Amino acid sequence: MKTIRLTTNAFKGLAKNKMRSFLMMVGIIIGIATLIVILSITQGANKKIMARLNNFGPNAIMVHAGGGKMRGPSSVSEANLTQKDLRDISSVEGVRIVAPFQVKLNMPIKYQNQFTTATVMGAMPNWADAWKRGVTKGDFISTEDVELLKKVCVIGETVRKELFADGNPIGAELLIGKVKFKVQGILQKRGASPGGSDFDNLIVIPFSTASRRLMNQPKYIAMMRVIVDDPSHLKKISQQIRQVLRRNHHLSSDEEDDFRLRSSTQIVKMIKGVSGTLHIFLLLIAGLSLIVGGIVIMNIMLISVSERKKEIGLRKAVGARSKDILLQFVLESLAVTLTGGIFGFIVGILGIKIMELATGTPAVISWEALALAFGFSFIVGIIFGVQPARKAAKLDPVEALR
Amino acid sequence: MNKLIRAKDITQIYSKNGSVMVKALQDVSLEIERGEFTAIMGASGSGKSTLMNILGCLARPTSGEYFLDGENVNNLSDDDLAKIRNRKIGFVFQQFHLLPRTDALENVELPLLYSERSDISKLAQHALEAVGLADRIHHQPSELSGGQQQRVAIARALVNDPEIILADEPTGNLDSRAGLEVIAVFQRLHAEGKTVILVTHAQEIAEHAHRIIRIKDGKIAGDEGVQNPLNARGELENLPGETEVMP
Repeated sequence: MKTIRLTTNAFKGLAKNKMRSFLMMVGIIIGIATLIVILSITQGANKKIMARLNNFGPNAIMVHAGGGKMRGPSSVSEANLTQKDLRDISSVEGVRIVAPFQVKLNMPIKYQNQFTTATVMGAMPNWADAWKRGVTKGDFISTEDVELLKKVCVIGETVRKELFADGNPIGAELLIGKVKFKVQGILQKRGASPGGSDFDNLIVIPFSTASRRLMNQPKYIAMMRVIVDDPSHLKKISQQIRQVLRRNHHLSSDEEDDFRLRSSTQIVKMIKGVSGTLHIFLLLIAGLSLIVGGIVIMNIMLISVSERKKEIGLRKAVGARSKDILLQFVLESLAVTLTGGIFGFIVGILGIKIMELATGTPAVISWEALALAFGFSFIVGIIFGVQPARKAAKLDPVEALR
Repeated sequence: MNKLIRAKDITQIYSKNGSVMVKALQDVSLEIERGEFTAIMGASGSGKSTLMNILGCLARPTSGEYFLDGENVNNLSDDDLAKIRNRKIGFVFQQFHLLPRTDALENVELPLLYSERSDISKLAQHALEAVGLADRIHHQPSELSGGQQQRVAIARALVNDPEIILADEPTGNLDSRAGLEVIAVFQRLHAEGKTVILVTHAQEIAEHAHRIIRIKDGKIAGDEGVQNPLNARGELENLPGETEVMP
């Protein structure tokens, strides 16, 4: 009962001194709003990571020809994987699919008087299984297409839009480089590739045709996509593949790999590395705002304790115990920070909505954000409210009333 | 049978600036019966305020014993003293000490906030009616005259139905009419059975009480009954001009 009365009085007190209350709240409002925005960005980014991860496949290992650091797909010019590598990887225990493919980026494409550039992949029929991505229209690359080195292709959505607009591309003939290909299917839409580029700006042709007719790489393979049965064995199988390749490529123990292996865990690391810096920066801003806001509150509360000495003395004279005074001032500080937290939450939500309109990144508003706003407001209120409250509670009534 | 207030050999020593010792009270002993109207008189610096703080349980004496309602107050904790102030003592101060930007009703409710009472606004309203301010309950202190503010303060002192009303120079900030109005309230409370202790430096105010205890240099210099206490209400009627209607 007493606490309820003191609580309502604390909020009434805020209303009596609107300007001062608002100034006390500004830091908290900024801090909480920033926190809400960060949380939304983080959750949005996590969603993106999950989406990319699903594109990549949680049970996939990509084998890139050529060593060095991680970057985009390996081009045919650096292809050094062999048919023997392919067979040996296939026989590693737990490996379900090995889909080899050749890659060339930014190849010129022409249809009638339309030009564009696209990534071209030479693939085996199992490419569709390995990427879980077939055609929405027409046919994918068949075994026969590969055996007969047919000049047929399957095009991605972006290529279709660029070259055919709304027309039907099936049966049309387009030029990849200087070679004529007949369109026999349209790939399922996929959006972003594991590397983050447009995965629909893609043309898939038979592996053999790519190697011999288009990319002049009859002997070596640029990339392989390995699908394992159980994602939890990803690491173990990766290591086995690495051993197989090192042995096949006759690498001595002091030589570096002349290939790269990538799996979902590394992808996550890569993406997080980029967005992490921004998050740390924003978190720093939020943290600093909350600390500065808390110090402002503590400062004003300390001044307020001096200003209200008479009130404190009077309250003690009429029966308030030290802990009642302590409680009153802590509640007043909490009233400031919690109200500030609510305003901050609203400002943060508005900020997210504006960002959504400006950048198109969907706003993620969660109950965690609300809980966080309340939690931090509460903690700041307690931490920076206790010191002034203790000063108030310790006042001697006779001194205070003088 | 037991006296309401029994103070024995009360001595209060302050250390000023850590070194100089000031004896504010020296071996003061006094007894006050239930229902008495007593004035404590003295010049400023005489120790009368110190005595009031001790009698009001706001401070503990350096030495000596103080029994309030038979209870030895010296042995009580700060929290217990707060409880006694809440239940048994109603304070009235020279500067009123009303909370600003807070209406009369909420000011009067203040002591009840620290009690276990639940019907606080009703009690506060009754107390305001008892001092003739029924029509001013939602006025803020800044909208009230000095006399009215002091009567709000008296209502606040009364609201918990305490044994003792302890008033420290209650008329010090008031003109003579408002001061007499306040004294009239005390005389009525006394008539209704309350114990009233009035601390003042003014002889003409003290003579409204039935007993005057004089303090000088921290010691009791005199303690006598008043033969014919002045009647504040009668004096008000003899003053020219309108007097506020009192219940």
